[in-house]
Amino acid sequence: MKETHDDIERIAKAEEQWRQEVLGPRVKRFNLEKSPTRFYTPTAEPDFDFLKQVGFPGQYPFTAGNQPFDFWRAYAEAGARMGMRPESGGGGAAGRYSGYGTAEDYRDYLLRMQSLGNRGGPNVAFDLVTQCGYDSDSPFAAGEVGRVGVAVDSFRDFEVIYEAFTGDHDIDKVPSNFTINAPAAVIIAMYVALADKRGIPLEKLRGTPQNDILKEFIARGTYIYPPRPSMRLFRDTLVFCRRHLPKLNVNSIGGYHIREAGATRIQDLAFSLANGCAYLQTGVDAGLDIDDFAPMFTFNAFGGSMEIYHEIAFQRAARRMWARLVKERFGAKDPHGMMIRQPITAHVGCTSTTLQRPLNNLARAVVGGIAAGMCGGLPAAYPPFDEPLGLGHSLEAIQLQMDATRILIFEAKVADVVDPWAGSYFMESLTDETEAAAQAELDKIDGMGGAVAAIENGYMPRAVAKSAYERQKRLENQEEFVVGVNCFNRDNEIDVSVQRVVDELYNPLQMATAEERQLVKLALLRRERNGKAVARALAALEVHAKDEDANLMPDLIECVKSEATLQEICDVLRGVFGEAEPVKI
Amino acid sequence: MNSERKTRVLIAKPGLDGHDRGARVVAYGLRDAGFEVIYTGLRQTPEQIATAAVQEDVDVIGLSVLSGAHLALTRKVIEKLREQDAAEIPLLVGGLIPEADKAALKEMGVAEVFTAGTPISSIASFIKSRVANA
Repeated sequence: MKETHDDIERIAKAEEQWRQEVLGPRVKRFNLEKSPTRFYTPTAEPDFDFLKQVGFPGQYPFTAGNQPFDFWRAYAEAGARMGMRPESGGGGAAGRYSGYGTAEDYRDYLLRMQSLGNRGGPNVAFDLVTQCGYDSDSPFAAGEVGRVGVAVDSFRDFEVIYEAFTGDHDIDKVPSNFTINAPAAVIIAMYVALADKRGIPLEKLRGTPQNDILKEFIARGTYIYPPRPSMRLFRDTLVFCRRHLPKLNVNSIGGYHIREAGATRIQDLAFSLANGCAYLQTGVDAGLDIDDFAPMFTFNAFGGSMEIYHEIAFQRAARRMWARLVKERFGAKDPHGMMIRQPITAHVGCTSTTLQRPLNNLARAVVGGIAAGMCGGLPAAYPPFDEPLGLGHSLEAIQLQMDATRILIFEAKVADVVDPWAGSYFMESLTDETEAAAQAELDKIDGMGGAVAAIENGYMPRAVAKSAYERQKRLENQEEFVVGVNCFNRDNEIDVSVQRVVDELYNPLQMATAEERQLVKLALLRRERNGKAVARALAALEVHAKDEDANLMPDLIECVKSEATLQEICDVLRGVFGEAEPVKI
Repeated sequence: MNSERKTRVLIAKPGLDGHDRGARVVAYGLRDAGFEVIYTGLRQTPEQIATAAVQEDVDVIGLSVLSGAHLALTRKVIEKLREQDAAEIPLLVGGLIPEADKAALKEMGVAEVFTAGTPISSIASFIKSRVANA
């Protein structure tokens, strides 16, 4: 080590000389205050310890990646020769995120996708009415039914969706993803009820409920109850899943939403990890063994941006920080629980896409794909270029997005080296800086009492809104640039427009009539079901909801089976838990 | 513009959409531009928005919708404003609004539609011109 330090001293001297003789004069020549570029030398990381800071892919602290290579990389070439489309699933994964209209509309869509070769399970987007725990006939629902996802008012709707999944696609063979948070426990109850009805043992069920309520308070806004009773519901799902659904992931922790809502990169990292720790602590407090449940946590990607170097460093820092938290703070021994398991790594984030000259978003997505490929993920170019048009992704935009990913894998060979930046003076120092800044922010939240307290006192939601505004000011002052938006947007540019020629994925006529059709179905349900059974199940739920120690999952399953509606169930819990207050700005 | 009183803007999130980055950023920006801004918070019914506009005696209302429910929700807000004799308050709509829907919104009576990438200064100038003319 002594030799190395001598080397570093020599380099530091040479660096100083370079500053004076080369850099300084150049900066002066162009009349600048400081250099617009930076150059990194070993002096950036004088105490660099490879084994401690980086290590090997697939080993603690996972800086270099969760695995030496992923499943998709193992069979990439074979897949290319066979012409496999990634969204076809192969039964190993859930399919593309989707959902609209009534359960019947969505079922028919899923069957159509299967006829095109899709074999994965459903990856369900629920409409906002469902996500907020209302029924389609609630006054809050008007205009929203079946709009951003499928409408699910009761177990009947849930069953109809799964009419597309029988035989070779039955729920003991394909996994399901549910993008649902506040009512996650109810949707898991529906999944259990479906398995019971089909005679499928619960231990065979696979999938991932999003079940990440804390970030809803910080960013996404589909909360129902205040944070603490929300965490009690999380606990109930966690304990129930570990006991009865061993293959079901517990949650999908999202930093993505927090960044999209305006958080800085550092806030995204710190807030997501703070939320993650709150969920881990909930499991520990419930008496579970950390090594039993931490491996069942997943992440739904952190946020992204166009700053490619920073995003690569971010992913490396995130992996290392989570691994250390799970191991050192929670005393885990199983390395599986220390990994950030996530389908997407670095990416640009949908908020980086622009409505102006939208085809440019393909170039932007490719930048994200390169970042992903260079930080240990599938080099996925995401999102499709038509993301900001508000019309849904067209099949042709999805085609170009997939092709871009394939070009990065097979032509550019971006994914042939794992963590190609390992040992780079620049990247290691940027990774350390990212980690240190996020750790300071995480310490601040811990000082407040953790994520729940930092939501209750408004700190995290307000910080995100402030950062969003700071960014907007920088854009308006041209301190940051977005091509076609706040620069290169004058009359001398050509306004490239795009036409989308392939049919929409979702039938617009069905979207327009979904609300009306859903209301007819809901009225029928209320007439046909056994009202006494519904009342009994809801009464039992209320009794147990008042008992903090009770696990509500068995009651929720009974409610679902009685065909109580989602809102009836959520209203009982609203009565006991109260409703969350929106954060003031 | 009336010099005794700042121009009052109501920024509202109708419906269940929780994406309020735009609403908050516009609220902060207009406040810094010298307006008095009232932000309703999430999940407001059209009726609540119309009532807030009347009670707070605002000069302009900005709705932010990113859920695709903008046509239905805006129509309802206009209806409720009419019921409360407040249809003359200029109504702005922002958010994820497909190009084709802009005309439909204006036909309903929306004064202007602002989509992603709009500088807050443009929104501020529009409000100044509109309120001064009123």
